[in-house]
Amino acid sequence: MHPEKQKHTFEPKIIAFVCTWCTYAGADLAGTSRMQYPPNVRVLKFPCTGRIDPVFILKAFQQGADGVLVSGCHPGDCHYIAGNFHARRRFAVFRKLLEFVGVDLNRLQFSWVSAAEGGKWVEVVTDLTEKVRAMGPMTEFRELALEEQWSGAINTPELEEAYNQI
Amino acid sequence: MTKSIDTSIYAAVSEAIRAEAQRILSDGTVTAIVGYAAARRKGSAQPIVISSADDAAKLIFTPACVNNLAVYLTKAKKEIPKKGKVGIVVKGCDLKALSGLMGESQLKREDLYLIGVPCAGVLASTVQPATELTSDSIAPKCTECDAQLPGGCDFVPPQAPLTPGQTRKYAAEIARLEALTPAERWAYWKEQFSKCIKCYACRQVCPFCFCEQCLCDRNKPQMVDTTPRPAGNTAWHIVRAMHLAGRCAGCAECERVCPMDIPLNLLNRKMAKELKELYDYEAGFEVNDKGPLNSYTEKDDQSFIK
Repeated sequence: MHPEKQKHTFEPKIIAFVCTWCTYAGADLAGTSRMQYPPNVRVLKFPCTGRIDPVFILKAFQQGADGVLVSGCHPGDCHYIAGNFHARRRFAVFRKLLEFVGVDLNRLQFSWVSAAEGGKWVEVVTDLTEKVRAMGPMTEFRELALEEQWSGAINTPELEEAYNQI
Repeated sequence: MTKSIDTSIYAAVSEAIRAEAQRILSDGTVTAIVGYAAARRKGSAQPIVISSADDAAKLIFTPACVNNLAVYLTKAKKEIPKKGKVGIVVKGCDLKALSGLMGESQLKREDLYLIGVPCAGVLASTVQPATELTSDSIAPKCTECDAQLPGGCDFVPPQAPLTPGQTRKYAAEIARLEALTPAERWAYWKEQFSKCIKCYACRQVCPFCFCEQCLCDRNKPQMVDTTPRPAGNTAWHIVRAMHLAGRCAGCAECERVCPMDIPLNLLNRKMAKELKELYDYEAGFEVNDKGPLNSYTEKDDQSFIK
């Protein structure tokens, strides 16, 4: 019944921060309609996109996410009237900051998916998963976490010698 | 090419500040004045709080008066008791910070007596305090300053600063970084952030970092690693830039106090640039109840959202 599963060498980890009123219901609809979408996505439910602090996205990348999806109600449909309008501004600025620090914005996707758009949810998740799969694992933050160095590199011979004597 | 910057008005400005301080302290308009006084090293200056008219003669204004005194009036600095009206000596950049604090309901205009300073620029943090002010020794923020004459103050000395056109140092650096690839930018910031020793001087000196408990000091949940290691450092600086976006007044105190010389204000300036482009918002002298990130319009750009 199901199409033959394709084998991949790299399965990206996608973290999806979704709002409970629209996108979570949309994803539910995709499920109950038996639409297929990549199992790479881990859905985290929030009351509203306005609740999603940019630091969550940062934390997701630090904890090993290869891609992050943030999704909520279409503008004007927010259960809390204006949560997604505030979120829209915040994320517009946050993605510029991440870009400036050197994060590839192709790994970070924002979308509006309503409770009726199961198909759009499948499309957004599939697109992001395939895009991130093609890019390979997100190594930047993981490498940072493994590094012990502090106060800059040991960049003088004197420091190097002192370090080696420890 | 090094151009010298005319600071001849500073002597007359100092005189005017002293006379005004003498007057408002003796007639009881204010109970205290936050200003600058000469420090022990030659040519250096330090913040001072005076509460008696006799001390008014201590006040000065020189190119070494780099501090943003607005930070002493925030609730983060509880050790400074506020009784009655407080006078404060402000440069244009400091006044923008005060306006921001008023917009965030941290201060009331009627509790302040603003002594504005016509400012031609102050010294960079990397030079000795007795250095002559030139286009090389000037603080980078002063090369982009549009607020030499503070507006809306209670008193401003009549002198007008001469302000020659200067190379905008931050704008040039931001443009250089924007032209790099993401990987190159990551390498640049990784090197810069790895210098960080997590002393939080940038947070202590920032007039807008007045939270009772900083997100970065919380451990349930712990959003930012507290150890001075690359992962936590990067997270801290991203969080700092994000929390100041739309609020930062561009006083560049974070960068001045950084003992590891991380170009912190670059991040804040970049955010300010984006907010100007996206929402036409700029920090200024007027008091706004809502900043760009706690207001919205229905027509905001959403080209990045699927």
